[in-house]
Order: sequence, then structure tokens, then C-alpha cells
Amino acid sequence: MAKLADAIEEQIQAIFSSDTPWVTIVWDDPVNLQSYVTYVFMELFGYSKAKATELMLQVHNDGKAIVSTGSREEMEHDVARLHEYGLWATLQRGDQI
Amino acid sequence: MGNVATWRSDLMSATEGFKRHGAHSYVAHFDETEREVILNLVEQIIELLAERVDHGHEDPLAAMVGITSHDSPPEDEVLHRLLPNAYADDVDAAEFRRYTESTLRGKKQAHAMSIRIGLKSSPEGDIELDHNGANDWLGGLNDIRLALGVRLKIENNNYEHLELLSPDDPLRGVYAVYTWLGWLQETLLAALMDEISE
Repeated sequence: MAKLADAIEEQIQAIFSSDTPWVTIVWDDPVNLQSYVTYVFMELFGYSKAKATELMLQVHNDGKAIVSTGSREEMEHDVARLHEYGLWATLQRGDQI
Repeated sequence: MGNVATWRSDLMSATEGFKRHGAHSYVAHFDETEREVILNLVEQIIELLAERVDHGHEDPLAAMVGITSHDSPPEDEVLHRLLPNAYADDVDAAEFRRYTESTLRGKKQAHAMSIRIGLKSSPEGDIELDHNGANDWLGGLNDIRLALGVRLKIENNNYEHLELLSPDDPLRGVYAVYTWLGWLQETLLAALMDEISE
């Protein structure tokens, strides 16, 4: 019985997880310039200079920052564009941070 | 994140970097040495990316839509930095790489080619960029800096160590170029930002 309950619980989890937003994370690295990272955030995401600067500082100070949120497909697109410009980015489910 | 060191090489001090020249136009002039240095580096990036060829395309349709035979990250440290994993999970990372790596390589090659064509078509070293051209240069210069950064083992706060290298240490020259490219990138960013804030 316990096994069955676990299996059901897992399935329920899986159903609800499709609504879970995904996130794009940018990680700090020692080469990319602060001004460059800020510019890339503005250019790729259309963020204001203030917001882009805030995210850049978060990456710099905390080692990482969530830069965008959305569906898995959208985050894959964002990560690909960040990689094109040499930023160190990954995506993951928002509930697993 | 990286810093632009204040220290610059005497060898590459001719150019004043990029300057804004009217709306959406950015210009720079490079002397012969500077032009050669950038050309040489950009060609090495193009070559390095080309080494990672896709092989074993039994399925022409797969090749056409950009599915590659690669699902593991490059062993070369520089290529790995230029073509990083998109997921922490290895299985997801491999799947993503199989479908997207050749596109990413193509875009990086396009940035590098844009720089190469610009310099090749001006033996005098005069470069004029529009907005897209500026983005190509930023991305392409950044890839060169990432590659040099791996070779120089640039880590946070180890600049002092590199700046104290003896004058005849070959790495000192590489570090000079790395620093210079960061400064050059910074001048282009300042010109772009100047326009945005207007």
C-alpha cells in the first residue's frame, strides 16, 4: 500500500510540475567585464540600465543571479543567446534552486 | 567578474579604441601591429571552432536542422568555455548540446568572421561599425578574452600575480594582449552606452 501511495504521489507531483516555472541563471566568472555583462542583459532581455546593473552586481557579489523566468523552452532560448555572447548560463526548474 | 587593469602594454598603444561617430556608428583606427594581433587571434578562434566538426551524419535531415553528433562537452578547456553546458544535469546537458551546439558554434564563428572581414577589408586599419557590427565585435572580442583567460588561468584576484611576471616571461605578452582587448571592449561598450543613455 505504501508503495502505491508513493507512486501516486509521484505522479501527482509530475502533473503539477509542468506548471513550475523554469529559470535562467547566470554565474560569475573572472573574465567577463561588468560593463559587458550589464550591456548583454540590456541587449538580450531589454532590461533598463538600472535593472541590468542590479542583476550584474548580484552575479558579481553572490556568484549567480536569476536573470529570466518562464517555460523550459523560453529558458533554453535565453541560455543559448547568453552562451552566444560568452556568459556562463544554465537553466533549471524554479523549484530546485 | 573581470577588471580592466590600468596597466597597458607600450606595444599596442596607438589606437584610442572605439568612439561614437554619429547615430549608431562606432569607429576605431588600428595600427598595423594592432590589426595583425586581432586578425591572428580571431583566426585562431575560427580555426578552433572548426576543429569541432560534426562527424557521422548518417541522417541528412538531422544535419540539415542542426542536430550534431556531439552530446558530450569538448575536452579542450577553451572549447569547453566557449561551448558550455546548459544544464547541471549531464543527461539534460547532453540532449541540449546535441540539438543546439552547431548553431552556437555557427554564431560564434559569425562574430569572429565579422571582425576578420572588417579588418581584412581595411588594410589601413579603419573600422566603422553599426549596432549589429558592434555586437559582433563585442561577442567576438569576448570569445578571444575567454580563450586567453583559460590559457592564462585567470581567476578572481590573481591579477597582481600576472602583473608581476618578469618582463621576458612569454605569458606576460599574452597577458598584455588580454588586458588590451578588455580595454578595447570597454571603449566600445562606453560608446554604445553613451548612445543608450541619451
